[in-house]
Amino acid sequence: MSSKPDPRDDTAASQGDAAVLARHTELGYAGQPVLSGLEFEIPTGTRVGVLGPNGGGKTTLFRALLGELTPLGGTLEVNSTTATVAQTDRSRLDYPVSALDVAVMGTLGRLPWWRRPGRRERKRALGALEKVGLADLAGSTFGDLSGGQRQRVLIARALTADAEMLLMDEPFTGLDNKSEARLETLIDELSSSGHTVLIATHEVEQASRWDLVLCLNKTQISFGDPAVALSKPVLEATYGGHIVEIPGQPDLGVLPAHHHHDH
Amino acid sequence: MFEAFSLPFFQKGLIEILILAIPAGLIGSWVVLRSLAFFSHAIGTASFPGLVLADGIGFSPALGAFGAAGFFAGLTALLGRSRRASNDSVTALVLVGCLAFGVILASDVFGSTASVDTLLFGSLLSIGTSDILLAAAAAVLAVATTVLLGHRWLARGFDETAASRVGAGAAWLDAVLLLTVAVTVTASLNAVGALLVTVLIVVPAATVRLFAQRITTQLVASVLLVAVLGSFGLWLSYQTDAPPGATIAVVSGITFGLALGVRSLGRRGGRIAAATALVLGAGVIAGCGGSGSNGDQLKVVATTTQVGDFVEQIGGDRVEVTTILQPNTDPHDYEPRPSDVKAVADADLVFRSGGHLDEWANDIVADSGSGAEVVDLSSGLPVQLEGEEEHEHAHEEEAAHSSESEAGHSHEGEAKPAEEEGHEHGDEVDPHWWHDPVNVIAATKEIDTALSEASPDNASYFSERTASFDKEARELDRQIAACVKQVPASERKIVTDHDAFGYFTNRYEIESVGTVIPALTTQAEPSAGDLADLEQTIKEENVKAIFPESSVSPALAEAVAEDTGASTSYTLYADTLGPEGSNGETWMSMMKANTDSLMLGMTGGQTDCFGTVG
Repeated sequence: MSSKPDPRDDTAASQGDAAVLARHTELGYAGQPVLSGLEFEIPTGTRVGVLGPNGGGKTTLFRALLGELTPLGGTLEVNSTTATVAQTDRSRLDYPVSALDVAVMGTLGRLPWWRRPGRRERKRALGALEKVGLADLAGSTFGDLSGGQRQRVLIARALTADAEMLLMDEPFTGLDNKSEARLETLIDELSSSGHTVLIATHEVEQASRWDLVLCLNKTQISFGDPAVALSKPVLEATYGGHIVEIPGQPDLGVLPAHHHHDH
Repeated sequence: MFEAFSLPFFQKGLIEILILAIPAGLIGSWVVLRSLAFFSHAIGTASFPGLVLADGIGFSPALGAFGAAGFFAGLTALLGRSRRASNDSVTALVLVGCLAFGVILASDVFGSTASVDTLLFGSLLSIGTSDILLAAAAAVLAVATTVLLGHRWLARGFDETAASRVGAGAAWLDAVLLLTVAVTVTASLNAVGALLVTVLIVVPAATVRLFAQRITTQLVASVLLVAVLGSFGLWLSYQTDAPPGATIAVVSGITFGLALGVRSLGRRGGRIAAATALVLGAGVIAGCGGSGSNGDQLKVVATTTQVGDFVEQIGGDRVEVTTILQPNTDPHDYEPRPSDVKAVADADLVFRSGGHLDEWANDIVADSGSGAEVVDLSSGLPVQLEGEEEHEHAHEEEAAHSSESEAGHSHEGEAKPAEEEGHEHGDEVDPHWWHDPVNVIAATKEIDTALSEASPDNASYFSERTASFDKEARELDRQIAACVKQVPASERKIVTDHDAFGYFTNRYEIESVGTVIPALTTQAEPSAGDLADLEQTIKEENVKAIFPESSVSPALAEAVAEDTGASTSYTLYADTLGPEGSNGETWMSMMKANTDSLMLGMTGGQTDCFGTVG
């Protein structure tokens, strides 16, 4: 799953705090590459927007970061324990678990197989729920929560699992403005407490507010500070010429600095 | 209304279902939460080849079923992992393979036998101590795995992609679950049979799933619901005299339907549903009255229709006979009903035909707690033909055999001991003995003896009736023999559905050229090669008629007839008598009807003997 930095690698010294390091990485299934040319270094504690069309390789990258795929070529170093925050499948909405039950699931990885989660684990889970602002809803059935609340429960589960890096798969889809703002704040908080957060998203404007942006379309289009990396040609290459334009902001992506919000 | 609870067989059934409720409820919940319903159904059905193997080689059927189920579970887990195919399609593939394997084993390797059916149609009315122990073992396993691994199963079911992140990703967790499902299914086989096993495991848990908000509720409520539905279904089956497994299935299905209604219609719908349930329940209970019986008569149970007829002929109005099998039902497909077990529990004497036709009889007697003496009429017959599928060669082979015989068997005429060295089923005797009047006369003597011992006051009444029956039977025998002789020996050739007429053809020197189903049981299935050979023989030997049986579907026989131009117009009574009012309602009339049908078939509709076939 996670490989330690190679001490012989002379670049490793300066990247001691890199959460992820990709060098000439090529990813794919059954020998067929679907994403190639990955060349990036994600420092610990940063917020990274991952942009790209559907089928552009976002999911493949996430699977590789989770250790479910090994690179076909190059190297992919993951120096953090990783957890996903996925969209909740509709069929799971009637699953008989409370928010607390889900958060407790995060503790299972640290328990030997014959141990059941006990009071200590429940306390940890409650602490995590508190951190995401759901302490008062710990006893609610998971399926009864709103979409935003469910996202936060899954974040709490990642926190109880001691994940240093969180992979979020389009977490803002279907959220109302209030929930969206709340989740953004939470991402900022996670980042400042040392968590690396990768957010797959389609919203360029939102991605421009984070520390780093990674644009993918079968290959790595660009990577770096959004102010630099999100140029119009980059977006054209990323989305195949169909630039996503936000109404009233035709210049989008060229210089997003003045869109930056302070939180 | 609650007298059922005092009967030993009912108590055992109740204990069994209450214990089974634990693994069924717990594992059922996991099955439902992990979307394994189809898998668990498949596992029940896949136990079939295991049952056939166990029966053929001779080890415990439960072991065979579990072996097959475990193998099935393992194969599914393995294929599902390596191929990344959808679980359902893998399950379906393996299931079809297992079923096909079972059918081939049953038809071609072992020549299927009766205990396979008994397990496929298990019953809560015939529960033994070993069944209860097996259920208890499954309960212990289900509780242990749920306590130890439940949290991980829950996490894995909640979202599988994240499961590996939270320490629930190991494949062995699923393997243990599948294995526990296999154990639970095996333990439930004896209670409800392979075909209804899903009902016990899946339906109650699925009902609870509609409402449960927490896993603990889900688990506990499922166990309780299985216990309630199971004991209610068992009791209801006693009141309505329906098979318990099917009753539990229906009750569970209705409950699930109502629960679905309650959930989707909200509170108002709930009231309607509850009212409907009450009315239905009341109707069912009101509909079941008890029936008394008059006290002084000797109470006798007969397993098959012909044995019932013999006992009635000898016992007259001094005996109350309950016949378990119904006319025109295939005895190979029998599942006991509560009234059967009740009748056996009350009986003074039980007469059975013997062989694999009514192997279940001993189980029913043992499980009913009855003290009745069981008389196996096949044990002392003068004419005993060897069983097994190579029937057409029987005559040649018999000559080569030594006369080693089992103790207690006497032999007369050209009949020979049934033993055949090195053969798995060598000790089996063709159980269709009543097609020879000589055997029937011996059997009625045995019935006379048994009845007279049980009721010495009526001994002279019984022996008078026996004497007159014998006289009639001997006369019938002479008439048939004389009549059949009208057909030249070279034209006395027939083809029947399965090997049921060996005694008849043996007695009256008719050559049975072949059978459509190549075994003594109707459960086997012929291969394409078998059929081709048969059709060839029919043409070569110029066989004029194929005789379908009244209790077996005529489709196969008709297909063969169509290919060869032989007639299928005449039906024979093979395993059972005909219903009341038919030309086969008693043994005497059945023999006449069979003779007429055979004669008409062999002579192209020209000659009959008794004028019974219209």
